[in-house]
Amino acid sequence: MECVVQGIIETQHVEALEVLLHGLSGVPKERVRVHELCLKSGPNLGVVPSEVRLLCDLAQPTPSWTIRHVGGAMRGAGAEQISVLVRTIVESKASKNVLHYFYTLGYKLDHELLKIGFAFRFHRGAQIIVTVTSTNKMPRLHATDEAVPVTPGIQLVEITAPAAADNYNDVVSAVSAFCEYLAPLLHLSKPGHSTGIVATAGAAAASLMSSGGGKTL
Amino acid sequence: MTPVKWLMHWHPSPGATVNSQILSEACGCAESLGGSKDGRWKTSIFFYRAMTRDGAGGPAGQQHPDLPRELLGVALHERPGLYFSIVRAQRLVLQADAAFPQVMEKLQSYRIRVALNFEGFQYQLGDFCLRIGKCVPNNSEALRGIMMEVEYYPLSSIEKSKAVMEDFFDIWQETVAKKSLPGQFIHVDSSFSDYGLSDQYSFQHTAVQYATCLQQLMAAVTVRG
Repeated sequence: MECVVQGIIETQHVEALEVLLHGLSGVPKERVRVHELCLKSGPNLGVVPSEVRLLCDLAQPTPSWTIRHVGGAMRGAGAEQISVLVRTIVESKASKNVLHYFYTLGYKLDHELLKIGFAFRFHRGAQIIVTVTSTNKMPRLHATDEAVPVTPGIQLVEITAPAAADNYNDVVSAVSAFCEYLAPLLHLSKPGHSTGIVATAGAAAASLMSSGGGKTL
Repeated sequence: MTPVKWLMHWHPSPGATVNSQILSEACGCAESLGGSKDGRWKTSIFFYRAMTRDGAGGPAGQQHPDLPRELLGVALHERPGLYFSIVRAQRLVLQADAAFPQVMEKLQSYRIRVALNFEGFQYQLGDFCLRIGKCVPNNSEALRGIMMEVEYYPLSSIEKSKAVMEDFFDIWQETVAKKSLPGQFIHVDSSFSDYGLSDQYSFQHTAVQYATCLQQLMAAVTVRG
């Protein structure tokens, strides 16, 4: 399982966000360059349609592949009340022929994206991963070198935290608490419930950049 | 560096059957050569079938022509953290990790129809390790076949190890022949290059050998009880 929130930030404020995240986490950022391929089952395959994502990590010297299945979100009155999405997730590493493998099984490429940016991984009440990326599309099949941003002035901020059935409440609390620190720069909410950019972002970013990163907001 | 391994399966003489006595005698041969019993092992193979909206994984005649008739999953005893999936018709072997079956379970596009276990005892014999085992369906004791692994620790090059493995195989054949059993062990010969695998031995090579071994076992064996 994982807990997830997302938000958007203007590209001009990403550097300030990076300063804030570095100050809060105490860890260096990691480069993110992930080629994400979304595959869907062919017309006759499976009793119900299915979808699987293949992630190719291009930030490493040797690209590595991960298979990712995103499951349904937790439902019910309890789930409605929490501000963090809790969903099942299954991931597996795979050899580099995994795309050919799923094509052979009858899956088709639905769309592909290139996500470029950075991430911070740290522990603050729970293991938390904050990724800040621009989402890019490719003009030709698999042409990652020719990718262009889908929304040039806007980047996606995603906070994910691994969870289990017996601890997700604690993880939700940790993620929610962390989101409070980012509130002056961006608002984070469940995927699909975006509230847009934050009015105070400009002032908050200016404050962060002028202080050289050591100051809390 | 992964040591080279040969798989062999028991091929019964015409009209003969596979039975547990042959398994016991084979283990006796390992001990007579000086092998010391060292524990148990188990490798599992899973047969997946495509679930289709017009046939829902029914008899072969309803299989969609574009989908693989047979998809195998292999969980090797020596690497419980890994999982392999093989599409034999396409000579495709995927290496994934132990969470892969959960992905397939979630996708519901292919379902496991049959699970087979290869299990038995292993014997250390100098630079060799012998694993002699039976092939049985999961949750059943019905013997489907007998096979063995011969692993040679010092080498990982398939080409360079060929001579020593052939020599060992000859010694093994002679030892087994003295028992006058109705059949013999046959080396499982896999076309690794067809799968895009190199001369450097790997767990993917082992997964491919198991897939080939199973195919040969199913073709060769008539089982009674």
